[in-house]
Amino acid sequence: MNELHKLVEEALPELDMMIGWAESSDPLRTTPVFINDVESISRLIWSPFCAQNLTGYLVKPPAPQPADKDKKIGICVKGCDSRSLVALIQEKFVARERLHIFGIACRGTVDWRRIMLQVPRSNVKSARVEDNFLLLEDTDGTHKLKLEDVLARKCLRCRYPNPVICDTMIGEPAVLRISPEDAYRDVEAVDQKSLEERLAFWQSDLDRCMRCYACRNACPLCVCQDQCIAETREPRWLTQRTGIREKFLFHMIHAMHLAGRCTECGECERVCPMEIPVTLIKEKLNKIISDKLGYTAGLDPNAVPPMLTFDPGETGV
Amino acid sequence: MAGKIFIALDRLRSTLDKLCSKIDLLAPASSQGNKTGPTAFMPYRSGVVPVLDRQTTLPLKKILLPQAETLLRYEYCKDPQDPLKAALSLDDRSEVRPTLVFGARPCDLKALSTFDRVFTSGPYKDPYYIERRKNTLFATLVCREADGACFCSSVGSGPADMEGSDFRITGIEGGFVVENLTEKAPDLFDSLGEAPTQDQQSEAGRIIEDVSQYRIGTLDLRGNEEAFRKRFEDNEYWQKMAAQCLSCGICTFVCPTCYCFTITDESDNLRGERLRSWDSCMFYHYTLEASGHNPRPTKLNRYRNRVGHKFSYIPEKYDGLLGCSGCGRCIRNCPVSIDIRQAAGQLKENVCDRQ
Ligand code: SF4
Ligand code: SF4
Ligand code: SF4
Ligand code: SF4
Repeated sequence: MNELHKLVEEALPELDMMIGWAESSDPLRTTPVFINDVESISRLIWSPFCAQNLTGYLVKPPAPQPADKDKKIGICVKGCDSRSLVALIQEKFVARERLHIFGIACRGTVDWRRIMLQVPRSNVKSARVEDNFLLLEDTDGTHKLKLEDVLARKCLRCRYPNPVICDTMIGEPAVLRISPEDAYRDVEAVDQKSLEERLAFWQSDLDRCMRCYACRNACPLCVCQDQCIAETREPRWLTQRTGIREKFLFHMIHAMHLAGRCTECGECERVCPMEIPVTLIKEKLNKIISDKLGYTAGLDPNAVPPMLTFDPGETGV
Repeated sequence: MAGKIFIALDRLRSTLDKLCSKIDLLAPASSQGNKTGPTAFMPYRSGVVPVLDRQTTLPLKKILLPQAETLLRYEYCKDPQDPLKAALSLDDRSEVRPTLVFGARPCDLKALSTFDRVFTSGPYKDPYYIERRKNTLFATLVCREADGACFCSSVGSGPADMEGSDFRITGIEGGFVVENLTEKAPDLFDSLGEAPTQDQQSEAGRIIEDVSQYRIGTLDLRGNEEAFRKRFEDNEYWQKMAAQCLSCGICTFVCPTCYCFTITDESDNLRGERLRSWDSCMFYHYTLEASGHNPRPTKLNRYRNRVGHKFSYIPEKYDGLLGCSGCGRCIRNCPVSIDIRQAAGQLKENVCDRQ
C-alpha cells in the first residue's frame, strides 16, 4: 500500500468523504473520485495526470447532501489547488476546521492536448512519467516525449508547487521550475505586442469560444454558478448571438469577478475544448493587482482580497 | 453513378481550389491556419490547410443547425401622425447555398440520420433544416483514425459506413480515391482529376473491405430502451455516474447529435431578430420554469436525461435509432473524464461501476 493510501486510511474514520483522483478509461487522464469506505481507498492515485483542481467540489458538491455534516471532508491538493482552498476559506465558503487537507508536492501535471499535438491519432495504451520524460505506449510503439513539451502552461510558470496550506503532506518538497520573477512572462509576451496585434490575438482566440461556460463551471471561485449574470434574463447582459462582442463580454465578466481572487489554478484553461488561453486574462488582472496593491491571491487565509474590501486611505490606485 | 477520380496528396489543395469555385466547400481545418489547435468544418478557399488525418474537434452539427440562427427579423415603424401606433414588418427570408462537405466521417453522417428523423419526419417539420439539408452534399472518408474514445460500431454504424454520404473518399498510397455514390451530383468531381488506375481501384477496394471488418467499440449499446426505464429511479446508479459532473455543457456542445435549442428575441430598440440557438440539457436553466420550479434541479437529473434521451427516448420514438453516433467527442472533451459508454453500457446489468 502506498503512502497516500496509508495516510487516507488513518484519517478515514474522521472523514465524511474523501475527494481524490482515480484512473479513468483514458491513460492520459484521471477522474475525480469520492470515497467513504476503506475498500475504495486503493482507487486513489497521485500522478502527473492528476491535472484537475478538486477544490471546486467543496462549493459545488458531488452529492446533494453530505452524509454527516459534523465530519470533515478530506481532499487531495497540489500546490496550485491549495491556493484555491485558501481563497475559499478567506471568503467563508468552507471552514478550515471542516477540512482534512492532503497536500501533495507537485512536479507538474501534463496537458493531454499538448501530447496529442506530438502524437496525433494516438491510441494510447499506457503512459508514465520518468525523470524529465513522458513515456507513452500506443499502437505504433513507445514514444519518449520531453516533459516540458507536455506540461500544462500553468505548471511551466508555477510559483507554488508545494501546498501553502495542509494537514498531511505527501512527498518531498518540489523545487521551482522558474524564477518567481518570470511567473508573468506569458502576460508580458502579450503586452509586448502592439495594440493591433493584441486585438487580433484576442479576437482570433476568443472567436473560437462557444460559450459552453465550462471555464466558469470548472472554476472553484466562480461561485455564482446557476445565477451567473451571463445567463440571467433580468437583467439582460448577453444575447444568444454568437458574435465576438458577446464572447468578449462573457470573458470580461468572468475575469473581472475573479480579479484579485483568481489563484491562477488554470482550471478554466484546462477544460476549454477550444484551447483558448483564458487564464491569461486573469493573469493580466492579477499582475495589475500585484503591481499596484502588492497582493497575491490564495496565500494567507486571514488576508482580505483587495476587491472585497474598501479602504479610503488606499494609495496604490 | 460512374464518377471516380484519384487525387494525389500533393494535388489535394489545388483540386479543392478548383472545387470551391464550383460549389461552396467546407473542409476540416484549424482556425489557427495550420495543423495544430482545435479543428472544425470551415469554409474552404485557397490557402486553407485541410486537416484530414483526424476527426475534427467540433462536429459538423453547426452546418445544419447553426449555433445561433436568425429565424426572422422584425421591425416596428412608428406612425409619424400617431406615435402610439406602430406597424410591424417581418422578414424571414434566408439564403441557403449549395454546399459540399469534404472530409466528413461516418460518425458525422450517422449523427445526421438522427437529426433527419427529428427535424424532417414530423409531426413538426423544420423548414430551415430541411432547406439546408437538401442543399448539402457529403464526401465522407473511410475512417482509419479511430482512437480510444471512438465507438461507432457500438451504435450500429462503423468506420466504413457510407449511409447518407454522396461521395466516398478512400485514402490510399499517395492520395485519395473519390467515388460518387448517389444521383445528387454525380459528375461533380469528374473534371477535377484522372480516373484511378486499376491498381489504385483495387487498393481502395481492399481498404474498404478491411475497414468494414473493424469493430470500433466492444459493447453494443442498442436496445437499452427498457433497461433505462427500469434504472430511471436508481438514484445510486445516477449518483455514481454523475457525481463528478460540472454541468459544464461541453458534452452537449461538442456532440453531433445533441440538437436541443432555445428561441429568444434579441432586440435593439425597435428592431430585432428571433434567434434559435443551441441550448444544453446539462444547464440548470434548461428546465427552469417561470414559477421558479425546476424539474431537473441537480446534475444527477440532468445527466440521466442526457443518457436517457440518447439511448432510450430517441430509439423508442425512431425505430431503435440511437441519439448517439459513437464519435467519442464527449468522452475526449469531458474535463472530468465521464465516459458515456459506462453509463449506457451498464444499464442492462445489475452493477454500477464507475471506473
Ligand atoms: S470553456 Fe472555452 S469554449 Fe467554453 S465558454 Fe469557456 S472559453 Fe468558451
Ligand atoms: S479564473 Fe481560472 S485560473 Fe482563476 S481560479 Fe478560476 S479556474 Fe482557476
Ligand atoms: S462534459 Fe462532463 S463535466 Fe461537462 S457537463 Fe458533460 S458530463 Fe458533465
Ligand atoms: S453522446 Fe458523445 S459519443 Fe455520442 S454522439 Fe454525442 S458526443 Fe459523440
